[in-house]
Order: sequence, then structure tokens, then C-alpha cells
Amino acid sequence: MFRLVNATGGYGKTTIIRDVSIAVMRGEVVALLGRNGVGKSTLMRFAIGSIPAMAGHVEIDGKLAPAAPERRARLGVGYVPQGRFVFPRMTVSENIAVAAAATGHDHRAAVTAALADFPMLRPKRDDLAGGLSGGQQQVLALARALATQPRILLLDEPTEGVQPSIIDEIAGILKRINAERGIAILVAEQDLDFCLSIAGRAYVMEKGRIRMEVDRDTLRADTALQQNLLGV
Amino acid sequence: MTLSQRLYRASAWLFPAIAVALALCLSFVMDPYLAFLGASWVIFGILGLSLDIVWGRGGFLSLGQTAFFGLGGYLGAIAAVNLAPVIGNTLLPTLPLAALFGGLCAGVLGALIFLARMGPLQATILSYTFTLLLWSLTQSLKFAVGKAVVGGDNGMSGIPGIVIGFGPHARALPPNGVFAVCVIVAALAYFATLALMRSTFGRVVDCIRLDIQKTELLGYDVRRVQVVNMAWAGAVAGLAGGLFALWSNYLNPSMFSVQEALLPPIHVLVGGLGTLAGPFVGALTIGGLSFWLGGGVAGGQTTLILGIVLVLLVLFLRNGILGAFDQLWRRFLPDPNAAARDAGEVRINVGDLDRIMREAEIQVGPAKTLSTDRVFKQFGGVIPVNNVSRSFAPGRPMALIGPNGAGKSSYLKTCVGVYQPEGGRVMIGDTDVTHAPIFRRVRLGMGVKNQKPQVFGALSVYDNLWTAAFARTRNKAKAADVAGRVLAMLGMTAQAAVEAQALSHGQQQWLDIGMVLCLAPRVVLLDEPAAGMTNEETRELSLLVRTLARHTTVVVVEHDMDFVRTLEGHVTVLHQGEVFTEGDIDSLRADERVLDIYLGRRQHV
Amino acid sequence: MAPDFLATVLLSSLSSAAILLIATIGLAVVFGLMGVINLAHGEFLMIGAYTALTVTQAGVPYVLSIPVAVAVTMAIGALVEVLVISRLYGRIFDTMLATWGISIAFYQLAVLTFGTVSPGIGMPQISVQIGAYSLAVYPLLMNGVALAMLGFVYLLMTRSVYGMKARASIQVPEMARAIGISSARVNTMTFALGCGLAGFAGAVLLPIVPATPSMGFAFVIKAFLTVVVAGPVTLTGSALAALGLGGGASVTASFLTSVAGDAFFFVATALLLWRYPLGISARWRRKL
Repeated sequence: MFRLVNATGGYGKTTIIRDVSIAVMRGEVVALLGRNGVGKSTLMRFAIGSIPAMAGHVEIDGKLAPAAPERRARLGVGYVPQGRFVFPRMTVSENIAVAAAATGHDHRAAVTAALADFPMLRPKRDDLAGGLSGGQQQVLALARALATQPRILLLDEPTEGVQPSIIDEIAGILKRINAERGIAILVAEQDLDFCLSIAGRAYVMEKGRIRMEVDRDTLRADTALQQNLLGV
Repeated sequence: MTLSQRLYRASAWLFPAIAVALALCLSFVMDPYLAFLGASWVIFGILGLSLDIVWGRGGFLSLGQTAFFGLGGYLGAIAAVNLAPVIGNTLLPTLPLAALFGGLCAGVLGALIFLARMGPLQATILSYTFTLLLWSLTQSLKFAVGKAVVGGDNGMSGIPGIVIGFGPHARALPPNGVFAVCVIVAALAYFATLALMRSTFGRVVDCIRLDIQKTELLGYDVRRVQVVNMAWAGAVAGLAGGLFALWSNYLNPSMFSVQEALLPPIHVLVGGLGTLAGPFVGALTIGGLSFWLGGGVAGGQTTLILGIVLVLLVLFLRNGILGAFDQLWRRFLPDPNAAARDAGEVRINVGDLDRIMREAEIQVGPAKTLSTDRVFKQFGGVIPVNNVSRSFAPGRPMALIGPNGAGKSSYLKTCVGVYQPEGGRVMIGDTDVTHAPIFRRVRLGMGVKNQKPQVFGALSVYDNLWTAAFARTRNKAKAADVAGRVLAMLGMTAQAAVEAQALSHGQQQWLDIGMVLCLAPRVVLLDEPAAGMTNEETRELSLLVRTLARHTTVVVVEHDMDFVRTLEGHVTVLHQGEVFTEGDIDSLRADERVLDIYLGRRQHV
Repeated sequence: MAPDFLATVLLSSLSSAAILLIATIGLAVVFGLMGVINLAHGEFLMIGAYTALTVTQAGVPYVLSIPVAVAVTMAIGALVEVLVISRLYGRIFDTMLATWGISIAFYQLAVLTFGTVSPGIGMPQISVQIGAYSLAVYPLLMNGVALAMLGFVYLLMTRSVYGMKARASIQVPEMARAIGISSARVNTMTFALGCGLAGFAGAVLLPIVPATPSMGFAFVIKAFLTVVVAGPVTLTGSALAALGLGGGASVTASFLTSVAGDAFFFVATALLLWRYPLGISARWRRKL
């Protein structure tokens, strides 16, 4: 239901990703693996429309996606960026409410639902998001993306700078929303175990291109491949 | 080289020289009223030049130039009023004093701004506040110095005109003569500034605008250069002010007004930012336009059109008249960056590198250790560097690895001097540099290559290397020698004249490394040097690092374990701000705990 | 010193601070929230004043002329945003120069349309007696107006959906778009709001500050410095900065001269910027 076709993009004149084609099916969880600087974040930003396409395009349900990120968001593309980027001088509730309101949903109901889904945010509901810890911000960024009621969720390095207990919690949440609501997930990660625990299939990126596509079991079994791919 | 190319190269002095000659010829025949107005346009051109020095070259939009202009004018006028009856000549007492005073005030204000490391907006606002403060103060400031009476908002009248003769009977020049004198003074200011901007000082000023951090990482005392540049600009503004006092015979506080403060920026923008000659073109265009539209000196009904012109300029002609002309001309010249496309691969010649490093050792002494003793750095509740004690010595590469967020780059930034630690000590050799500014550490032998390539994009490849080499050698010939050899080693001889911004990402990385080599560093710090490099480039880099490490201390912060393995060096693993473990790479790869923290291996839900 | 004199000085200084704050709030929205330096802010104030004056002269009661002034300035503001400002986001100094161009063009248009002298509409002649001094009531009323404006902007920005979208668009523009906010439209609205607030200020201050083409210059500089000193927590910061700078200048002017008052304003600004390079509110944990 969500495809990137020959995606080529970058910043200014510099091309970072070249001819990348990937697809995520309805309700599927797919990982995007690769070392630092291979272009995973650029690919994500290409997918949401934040950087202009030098070539290639994005398809949602087989139709060409509109160029503007806000219109893609309203078509059901949810995004959790690397580094979280919560709105720092807005409260936790406002961060969730504004996302719901912007995509045309009832913002009060969205806040109630999010606080029910993420008990961790409940005591912090009226605190400024900028004052939360890294892990709490990550959960808030996830809650904010879910408030737009997406059909596919793009997550960029959700475990970066997050303490292990919260990483486990995030993995649990992602599994749950995928199973219960059928939301498809594309997650860019360096944390291999995190990916193996949630994704059924993975693309491996190298130098701005997709180098291979593997399923979970192959990747889990092959330690040499793990070391080779991730430079461990 | 074609005629067009020769002309282009000489354009900065040739065309202004022709313009000056033409203006001087015209001054004999032109209408006196036009000469009177023309002199004011030339004076505003000098004022615009002063702004172009700090803004176009220095990168700081100063709204204080009219303040230095006014201060120079007032002091110059006081001198003129008192000394004219005695010596006759008004230029000699007025102009040097006005320039000196303008320069002094600008230097003090610049020191306040740059030594406090203010942000660009705050700096602009502070300079504006300074001007406005003078505006309100001069409204009521009434005092007399000798015969000169400064009369608050009544202004200061009775200032003598331009007198070039000597003795009590010397007479003021007529308008045409005044115009000629203004043109000559403007020419002197312009050519002196041009010479300064083409000297090594001007090179450093340009580098600061392009990348202030890199400039300091080459060992230049950037804040001192900024203050001196500001003082020079202030002196030029003061000079214009002194000339203005003699031209108008009357000064009042409106020199410091809001409207006046914004005139130099418009002149500079219309003419072309950073061109030095542009402000004259701008002042002449705006002045001529006002005159043609019938407004005369005061502007009058033309304000509306000027406002609209300014908006259109900002929207559509960002480089001003000279900038647009420059772009047009360059289209007809051969592209200096064409050579960038045929750049070959970098091949590190170990013999050459060994020779360069041995010579460096003879010139600047043996390698130094870099050590930290319980350094501690905290941001709010996060402690990225927690009591790290390490000592790095020459012999073999020292690698620092660790997962994301382990504190590697914070530790490196503490060593470099970007962060000031809350506790502990940082030493280069036997010198405690814990609180030393960055450039001082560089002068002690530190060479730093940050993760992203830091090159001066608008300078040629050769000039980038030369600027780095000159920072150490302080000798043009020696710098040229060092730069030439590093250029050859990088295999970029054919690209010497290419602008650094036209190079590919990988080539910029190599140029950046070349600049660090030009410093002949005694301690080298490399932050993720292999990021974004191809496999072949990574291999060459590894060879370079290993060769370097035989001569100096080399610390490499890396993410890429493959690359670290090829270095065959000592590895320190950081985790959560602390030293986790250390050893050679093979023992670490066998260590399950390291794999755990690196891979984030745990049992998941 | 006589207590009645002291009370008079304090009250009138408070009013001066309130007047500064009224003139500043629109700029606080545009500069503080959007990061746009709008040097034409003073001219929007002037347009508001002239609109109110023209409408009043046409026979409409003064109170009803105020909403007209707000509507006119908002419309012009939206037009300026779409035509000029929207092309210059992220280029702070270019925006500054472009808005300066707009400022002098509007100034000249006002000179051409209204001439340099306009009749005032006269302040309501009600005053209160404090000891031996009498104080006009209308300026005192401005304290209430300033508080009402602060409250209105605060509630609009914190309680309404538009306010949340506006703040989100300004804090992290890329993310705002990624969650479905049409930032371009929201920014036009926010800029128009700031201009409308300036128009409101011009209209409501009309009895105190008569409409002249150059009235904008008098306000914009101090308003601008107030907002820069205020820093990121725009609204609260501006209120505090206006109270300190405007009130302080007014007290200084009462005891010394008006020039000393101005000097106080500028010196205090310079010192505060030196001490707090990012504004006095840089470390506050507040929304607005």
C-alpha cells in the first residue's frame, strides 16, 4: 500500500539516495537497516515529502502521493523523526491534540485515547514537552504520530538515546498497534535486536542504495551477515 | 589567457581607477549644483564602503556605521572650527582625527560584541541601540570646545568648508573642487581597503565569514581579527563623517537617526554586497534616482519609489548591480571549476607523507601527548563525559568507539575546546589547556578534522591549503611550499584553481584533511573521518592515519568498526560517558559485553 | 517628596509602559512567534490610526471604528505576507530590509494621502484628582486595554486549535507539516494577526497619539527592542520588558528629562542584551 519508486534525493546539489525502491504492504512491519550515513533518514524524509524528489515518486494505495507533506499526513502517513522533534514549548497534551486537529480528528478524544494508550505520559500531560527525558519524548513523538490516525507509521531511529527499559516498552507498543489496528510500520534502525523483535522483513541500505532484502529468520541466523552489514 | 579574463582579474582596481579619472575630469566641467550633490553621493559611498567591510566581508550587519560616521563628523568639525583660522587647511586636522575617533569607537563596540560572542541578531541590535543612544543623547548635549559650539538639537553650525590652502587667507573650495576632493578621498579609502582585503588579513576576514569555527581551528585568533576589521570599518565611516561635516558646514543629531542608519545597507545592497565598489554604485544610483525624480538631497517624493525598489531588490536581485554584472560576465569566461569533474582518486604516497611529517618535526618539535584527567561535562541532567581519564601518545592510532550517545563526540569537543568541562583537566604535552581558547590549543600543535568536511567553499583548493599553511608558518613563501606539496600528495594539482564548493563530498573531506596536515599538528583529532567515503577512499584514509600515527599522536573517533580494525591500533570503548573497556580490536570483537552495548542486544518483549 | 506627586508619576509611568506594551504585542506575535523582523510594524499601527480617524470623521462612533481598523490592517498584512514575507522565511536580514522598504513606502503613501498634519480626535476629558495633581483617565484605561490584549493573545494562542497550529508551525516547521498542518496558511494568518494587533493599537491609542505618517517610527524601535530583550517566551517576556524598559524610562523622564528617559531605555536594553544574549526569558519554562 506504500511504495517508493526509484527514489532519488538529497540536499542542495548533493544526492544522498539513488534509485531506491521499497514497498510496505498493508499491516506489515518492515525494517530499514544500515550504518550511520547510508541515507536512511534521507529516505524517510523523501517518503514524507520533506525533501524534494530529484527523481522517482511515492505511491499510496497505488496512486501517486501529493507532494506536500501535510497532504501526505492527511492520507495516513505518520512520521516519528530521528531526534524526536516534539514541539518543545507546547505541553504533552497539546503535542497530541494539535496532531489530531491538523488531520481533522477530534483533538480532545485523541488526547484521552493517547493518555490511555501511554500511561507513562499521564503524569506529564501538562508539562512542556521540551522538559521530558529522551525516552519520554520518544514515546510522545510516537503518540503524536498515532494521533493523526495513520495507516503507515515511519519511524526513524526510535531507540537512539533511549534507555533500555523504554526501548522494550516501545517495541511492545509497536507490536500491539500493528496487531490491533493493522497499522503498517517502516522502521529505520541500527539496533538490530530491536528490529528483529518487531519486523518480519528488512531492507539493507549501503551508500544510498538498497543492497539487499532479507527476512527476519535469515538475518537472525547469520552472524557473519550481521557483522558485515552493520560493521560490528 | 584572453583579454576578457585579464580584464576580469583586474576589474577590482581597473574600473574604479577609470571611474576616478573620469570623475576628476568631469569635475572641471560639471554643473556646480550637480557637483554639490555628487559630492554627497560620494561621501555616502564611503559610508557604504565602511558597512561593506564589516557586513559584506566580515559577515556582521552593523547598524552602527552611521554612529561612527556621526562621531567622526562631530569631532572632525570641532577640530576644523578651532584650527581653520590658524592653519587655514581644514582637511589635515579634520579627516585623520575623524577617522581615528570613528575607528576607536568601532573598536570598542566591536570588542564588546565579538568578545562576548554574541549571536548575529543580538549583535546587529546592539549596534543599532548604540546608534539610537547617540541620537537621543546628542539632542540635548550642549557644550563648547574652544570656538566650536555643539548645540544639542540645534546642531552645530559654522563649520568651515574644504580648504586646501594654508594660512589665514586660504579660501574654501567651490562645489566643483569639493567634488574632486571627495573623489580623491574616496579613491584613497577604496584602494587602501582593497589592499587590506587582498592581504592575508583580508583572507582571514573572508574565512571568518565563510566558517568561523574552521578559521579558529586553523589557529587564527578570530575575535581579534573581527575587532580590528570593525575598527578599520569604523575609521572609514569616521573619515566619511569628517568629509560630510566639511561638505555640509552643519551637523545635527539626525545623523544618528533611524532613517539614516538604514541608508548604508540600502546602498550596499543596491550596489552589491561584498564587492567594496558596490556601495559607491549604490549611493550613486539611489542619489541619482532621487535627483532625477526631482527629490534632490532630501529624498522628498521619491521615498515611495525607493521603498518599492528596496523590496524588489531583496526579492529579485539579491546580488545587487555589480553582483548581477559579475554573474553575467562570468558566463562568458571559462569555468574555473571545470577541472573538478576530472579529479582522480586520492592516492596517499607514504614516502611523501613521511617526508612532510619529518620536516614538520624538525620545524615544530616532537609529537605531543594529549591527556585528560577526570574530565567531567554535564548538560542539565545528562552527563555525556563522566570523569574520563585517558592519555594518547604517538606510535599507533588511538581509536575511540562506542554506540550512539556514548559521549564520544562530547569528549572530543571537550578536548578541542568547544565545550568547557565542569571538572578535570585537559593537557597538550605538558601544558594545561583546560580553559584555553581553541586557537591557542591549535598553536600548541592540535589539529582537528570534524565529521563534516569544513572547507572555505568560495576559496580555491590551493587557497584553502595555503591559508592553513600560513596560519602555522606565518611566511608566504613557506606557506606556498607546504601547500604545494600537500596539494600534490592529494593528487589535486589539476584542481588547484577550483572553488572548494565545487568539489564532491569525498574530495572536500580530503581537502579538509590536507588542511590539517598543513598545520603540521603534533596531536591529530579525527571525528568519524570515514563517514561518507567509498571503500577505496576508506582504504587510503586508513593508510594515511597509520602513517601519521608513526610521527604524531592520532586520535580517531569512529562508528565504523571495520575501519577501526584496519587501523591496527589501540581502541578505547566509551559507554554512557565513561570508559567501558579497552584493548585491541580483535579482543574487543570477542568481548560479548561490547557486542551487547553496541548491538543493543537484550531480550525483547 | 510629596506622596501625591509620587503616585502621579507611578501611575502615569505605568500607563506609559502599558502604551508601549499595546504597541508591542503585535510585534511580539510576528517577531517572537514567527521570527520575522517586521520593520513595517509601526506603519501598520499608523494605518490602524488613520483608518480609525477616517471612519470616525465619516460619522461612525469612535468605538466602532476600532474593529474596522483591525480588519483593514489584517487584510493588508495578509497581502504583504503572501507577496513578500512568505518568500523570505529563514532569511532574517533580507526580511528586515524588505519590511523596511515596505515601511518607507507606506509612510510616503500616508504623506501623499493625508498630508503631514492630521486633526486629532481629542481625548475624553475625564480626569481624576490625586492630591494637587489631576490625571487624565484615558491613558489609565490603557492599563486595562494592555491586560485585555495580553489575555486575548494568550488565550487565542494556548486554547484555540489555530493557536496550537501556529505555535507548532513556528517551533518545528518540518514536523508541523509532517503531522498535517498547512504551515503556509497558518503563517499568513499569524502575520495578519500581528498586523491586526498593530492596527488595533493604532486605533485605540488614537486619542493619545494623533495620527501622523511618521508615528510608526516612534513606536517601532522601542517595540522592537522590547521584543528582542524579551526573548523566546514572547508574551510574558514582552510584558515584563515593557514594564521595566518603558516604565523605567517614563520614571526617569519624570524626574530628569525626556532625553534621559530615552537614554535609560537604550542603555538598559544594551545591558540586558549583554547579560542575556538570547533574551531575558531564554531559560524560562513557559509556553508564551
